[in-house]
Amino acid sequence: MIDNQWPRWEVFKKDSDRKPHQSVGSIHAADPEHALLNARNVYVRRPSAVSLWVVLTEQIFSKTREELEHKPLEKMEDAGQTAVSYCIFRKFGNRRRMVFMDHIGQVDATSPENALLEAINQFGTDQDLAWWIFPESAVVKSEAGIEEAWFAPAKTKSYKKQSKYGGAVEKIQKGNYE
Amino acid sequence: MNQTTDLHEQKTAEFEARIARGEKIEPGDWMPEAYRKQLIRMISQHAHSEYIGMLPEGKWIPHAPSLRRKMVLIAKVQDEAGHGQYLYHAAETLGATREEMMDSFLTGKAKYSSIFNYPSDSWADVAIIGWLVDGAAIKNQMMLSHCSYGPYSRAMMRICTEEAFHHRQGREMVIKYASGTPKQRKMMQDSLNRYWWPSVMMLGPHDSDSPNTPQLVRWGIKTKTNDEVRQEFIADTAPELLEAGLTIPDPDLRFDEETKQWVHGPIDWDEFWQVVRGNGPCNAERLGVRAKAHADGKWVREALNGYASRKAEDRRQTAENY
Repeated sequence: MIDNQWPRWEVFKKDSDRKPHQSVGSIHAADPEHALLNARNVYVRRPSAVSLWVVLTEQIFSKTREELEHKPLEKMEDAGQTAVSYCIFRKFGNRRRMVFMDHIGQVDATSPENALLEAINQFGTDQDLAWWIFPESAVVKSEAGIEEAWFAPAKTKSYKKQSKYGGAVEKIQKGNYE
Repeated sequence: MNQTTDLHEQKTAEFEARIARGEKIEPGDWMPEAYRKQLIRMISQHAHSEYIGMLPEGKWIPHAPSLRRKMVLIAKVQDEAGHGQYLYHAAETLGATREEMMDSFLTGKAKYSSIFNYPSDSWADVAIIGWLVDGAAIKNQMMLSHCSYGPYSRAMMRICTEEAFHHRQGREMVIKYASGTPKQRKMMQDSLNRYWWPSVMMLGPHDSDSPNTPQLVRWGIKTKTNDEVRQEFIADTAPELLEAGLTIPDPDLRFDEETKQWVHGPIDWDEFWQVVRGNGPCNAERLGVRAKAHADGKWVREALNGYASRKAEDRRQTAENY
């Protein structure tokens, strides 16, 4: 058996100021800093990101619609804990897409179960298919101000674009390439 | 019939109804054990293929004929590493661990795409691999992007978007060399001669020899059969290869005007199975290189673990001091 891999982290990428953070997949890493670096290397090889988050997978409370129908959530008694801010992510609809969940907001609650109940109450369950809930304190965020250094270099790599080849091929066929 | 069987059948029926409605199955949802197993097998093989796929092309990075070609090839090989990661992620959501997958990969228990066990003997192979091998893979991956399992479908969407340029740069290079000097044309023809059949084969056995296909189609894992995807691949590639002035090494290949289908000559399935079973020209070399890379990286993994535990210890001590 090979040596152990590092813990798993889920990666959330925000493509532009107008878009929410969206879950794109996971990576394995030894510590938070390493997790952000790996997330960038694996998920930002194309130029569309203004912010990255990573969260240890084991800190995410996850429910699908099927699980909720099978076993409805019950409100947890608050035993004097203080409410903290939870990030609410939701998968909405069955359209084929590259990302899984969208960040739809924050709620204050004393447990992830209560946060989900509150989220369902606030955001409705019309087309939701799955939910992820985690405390904001679990999020490791890319630093503000690093966008230029971290995300911009990929923008100049135009050879990664399929559209850069179409014309060239037709030119070769006509026999007047360069 | 006992109650457990009843319940299982009812759950399976509900599951199949969800797929028929076009819903995606997500981690946490109920699924038949056979669905989970088939997906883990397919996705992990696919991930291993992305990893091994770096080797035949990576070998040519130091020999690229221009800086532009070198940057393109580096970006492409880097993408393949990333694609392996997307796929391992998808398999992990089904309960497979990275350790198990790496273990069966490096011990040769798991399979990967047969095509990567052929040698890349000339720079022209980089062009042909881009156009034909990535072209065939993209056909398959587009089909799989409609897969019923959410994480696999999403990984495929991401991979297809990124691989579009892999395919285009290969096509550009093939056409350029095919219209180049006699030496360049000869080099390209030689590469096509070696890679045409392995590319046609890599889409898998004929439908009549794929007993799993009907169930995979019913469960929305595959949305097309091997022969359907192969037909699409030939229809896309053959006319342009011919237009580029190259000769496809299949004397029986022709377009049937009546059925509007490409008809190809018999595929050498003995060769295919030999390569799949580990007896291809480069099986041992590829796995050897991969296993060595993994072993050589051991100290890096250990160092990062050491750093992480020291940092964690620092945080604990700081917390205690306050």
